[in-house]
Amino acid sequence: MTQIIQVVIFGLLLGGVYALMASGLTLAFGVMRIVNLAHAVFIIGSAYIAFFAFDKLGIDPLLSVVFIMPLLFVFGVGLYMALFTRIEGTARYVEMTVLLTFGLAIMIEGLLGWGFTGIFRQATPAYLTDAFFIGDFLIPTGQFIAAMSSFLLLIGLWGFLRFTRIGYGIRATMQNRAAAQLVGVNVRRVSAIAFGISTALAGASGALMSYLFPFFPFRHWQWIAVLLALVVLGGMGSLKGVVVGALILGVANSLVVDQIGPGWAWMAFYAALFFILLVRPNGLFGKEVAA
Amino acid sequence: MIEDRAAGDGLEPRAVKAVTAPKRPATYRWLVVGILLVSLLLLPLSRPVLGSYNYVILLATNTLMWVAMASSWNILGGYTGYISLGHAVFLGVGGYVAAVPLFYYGISPFLTAVIGGLAAMVLGLVAGLITLRTRGSVFIISTIALLYMFLLIFENSDYLGGTAGLPLPVVPLPRDWLKAPFYYAMLLAAVGSIVLTYQVAHSKFGLGLRAIAEDETKAEVAGVPTRFYKILAFALSAFWVGFVGAIWGYSLAFVRPTLFFTVAIAAQMTLMAIIGGRATVAGPVIGGVLIIAINEFSITKFGSSEINIVIIGALLVAVLLFFPLGIVGSLREKGWLPAFLDWD
Amino acid sequence: MALLEVRGVDAGYGHGPDILRGLSLEIEAGTSYCIIGPNGAGKSTLLRVISGLLPPRSGEVAFKGVPFNGARPDQVLATGICFVPQDQAVFPEMSVRENLVVGAYLVRDRSLIKERMDRVFELFPILAERESLDAGKLSGGQQQMLTLGRALMIDPEVMMLDEPSLGLAPQIAEQIFATIRALKDLGITIVMVEQNAVRGLELADWGVVLDLGIVRFEGPADTILKDPRIRELYLGKAANLEETP
Repeated sequence: MTQIIQVVIFGLLLGGVYALMASGLTLAFGVMRIVNLAHAVFIIGSAYIAFFAFDKLGIDPLLSVVFIMPLLFVFGVGLYMALFTRIEGTARYVEMTVLLTFGLAIMIEGLLGWGFTGIFRQATPAYLTDAFFIGDFLIPTGQFIAAMSSFLLLIGLWGFLRFTRIGYGIRATMQNRAAAQLVGVNVRRVSAIAFGISTALAGASGALMSYLFPFFPFRHWQWIAVLLALVVLGGMGSLKGVVVGALILGVANSLVVDQIGPGWAWMAFYAALFFILLVRPNGLFGKEVAA
Repeated sequence: MIEDRAAGDGLEPRAVKAVTAPKRPATYRWLVVGILLVSLLLLPLSRPVLGSYNYVILLATNTLMWVAMASSWNILGGYTGYISLGHAVFLGVGGYVAAVPLFYYGISPFLTAVIGGLAAMVLGLVAGLITLRTRGSVFIISTIALLYMFLLIFENSDYLGGTAGLPLPVVPLPRDWLKAPFYYAMLLAAVGSIVLTYQVAHSKFGLGLRAIAEDETKAEVAGVPTRFYKILAFALSAFWVGFVGAIWGYSLAFVRPTLFFTVAIAAQMTLMAIIGGRATVAGPVIGGVLIIAINEFSITKFGSSEINIVIIGALLVAVLLFFPLGIVGSLREKGWLPAFLDWD
Repeated sequence: MALLEVRGVDAGYGHGPDILRGLSLEIEAGTSYCIIGPNGAGKSTLLRVISGLLPPRSGEVAFKGVPFNGARPDQVLATGICFVPQDQAVFPEMSVRENLVVGAYLVRDRSLIKERMDRVFELFPILAERESLDAGKLSGGQQQMLTLGRALMIDPEVMMLDEPSLGLAPQIAEQIFATIRALKDLGITIVMVEQNAVRGLELADWGVVLDLGIVRFEGPADTILKDPRIRELYLGKAANLEETP
């Protein structure tokens, strides 16, 4: 039993990080109907920034969040204005976003591979190998810090959406795009900001990834598969859904790794996705099928 | 013969076929295609006259393989409008279905490749039953998940060699003729997938698929059995990819999960079909040849596959933004498409 | 000079045909208008063009003599023209209060927001009761009240209402009409499209009959209501059954 609880704790800690990683993805879909296949490559790109900041300048990966997030925000806003405003109103818009971000993901993957080669990287701050005990349970310090940071950022995101003017605009656009326009929300501007926030969240996730998970450019495909599965499970565009889904699947993933073997890591995500498609094609919290 | 059948079975109204039948193509178009086909058939015999024979045959084999895969992808992604980014799953399944009898019992993949294709089809049917319950983005996501799920299953199977895969014996042929059988098999796959696409495009079934791509709800209201058609399209688009997988594994002399079940391969098929022109018969062929040419060029020029990936990604973005119909589609829209490239 | 002028507007959707064909119309301040006409006449399209949701293919819309020149919906709204669409477009996962706050998206002054919210709650006591309920959980009539209340949050000069009684029970619809009359009394210029043409004309000062994308007739609402040709052509059975006192 103790063993199981220990595994559940590991799962919850990582689940928190998955929630952060997927939150930006779900925001981009919720507000702009963009299925961003490049989200994971943004995360990995940010992980490289954090890695080199640590490796060359000795900056703690957690600290690098402070400059990676603004950097990725600007990048996201620029990208939105340059790319996605061009395809507003095209037929089959969502499919178009998938293919465009697909091309973008390939491009950035190539650039990362070209610049930093395909070898595995991992930042190694001191807390990476530290751990402490709560009662009988071992808590790895690095994962704990990452989970707490994710938690704080998600709270921040929630508060931003809940209490700020732009937050109102973003939520209004998510819930009813036409009505948002009619109450005076500049939907294009709000979308650009929301996309910037989405990429900034990818940036923060990347900083955490830099020491939590060894990475190399091609890895982003595996991550995007997992994160997209989470977004579908959460009901395409629901932040609450994605956070709850991430915690559940974080635990399920830990249990699978512990009980069946590390080779089966991530299986829980794909299996859950197909199970959901069978029984509830709208996801855990979904209201409508996203076309 | 058609008259006989029309009198005999009466299952399908022939009138519908007549409506969708293509205009009689210019004879010179088929002349060009015929000359091309004959030269492709004769290519392996050119050893005495061709300097870089091995390189040419390898490149041609590779191109034909990709043409077959891009054309197959087009049946679902182009005509039906359902983008699959997990089509590499069929390549892997075909590869393993042929590799296992070879590894354990010494049965040649040239005999089992068709079974590889059929296995891919069956997987297409089953996967289609689940994934095609959704549309648009959720469908695309589920195809990626399907691919990764199979990667995990194959990596964790000891019988299939796990992550290391299975080493395969080399074809028992004299060195000089080692490459020819693979070449002909891929030629068969390429021609087969193009013919299949043509058949689909010119059938009532293909008309239904186009209707689904246009507006699925309307298609359904109009009486198109959308669910059945979509699943069938998924299965048909899997067959030749599975076949190709069987041959490809044999030609590499090994199968390994990470080599087959990868988004990169699925990406390439998608890219070729889109750049060439979705929902056209010639599009994926032209896209395939073009992308392979770019690959060859950039690898010899820059010596790195990373630059190549960047170019491919940038190309996809550019085509989507500026020529969403692809080469064939855009040229046809402008009326500049040379008749020998208009295979529809 | 008219408050709002529509000059020779052609408009349509996508690659489709023109729905509005050179339509011109003048809206005077403080007057209430009811636009009637058969389905497809372009009533909703006209409101969408004025609100900036649908850019006209040619022609222009001018407010206080200043043409809009392809202004976005939020820019049109900022001038004081608001549009209440026909599908009770609330934000379903926001509370009633949040819906009103977001209605004042263009208002930066918090005390002003508070003031206007109080006024809305006064006008619709039922909304005050359900203040913290998610808007998606309100009834159809309450949602319509909420969209009207939300529109009031910017203190508009012109309110355009697209079928405000659509899909509502007669009793609820009566309530909405009473509210519209109250808005009129507040001095707001009302431009309303109403499928219940008789009821709409009774409420309005001025009637406008659209057909095939142009203004066919316009005049004082009671004249329009009594005109035998218009009764015959556009008011149909409803008018004959429901004699007005």
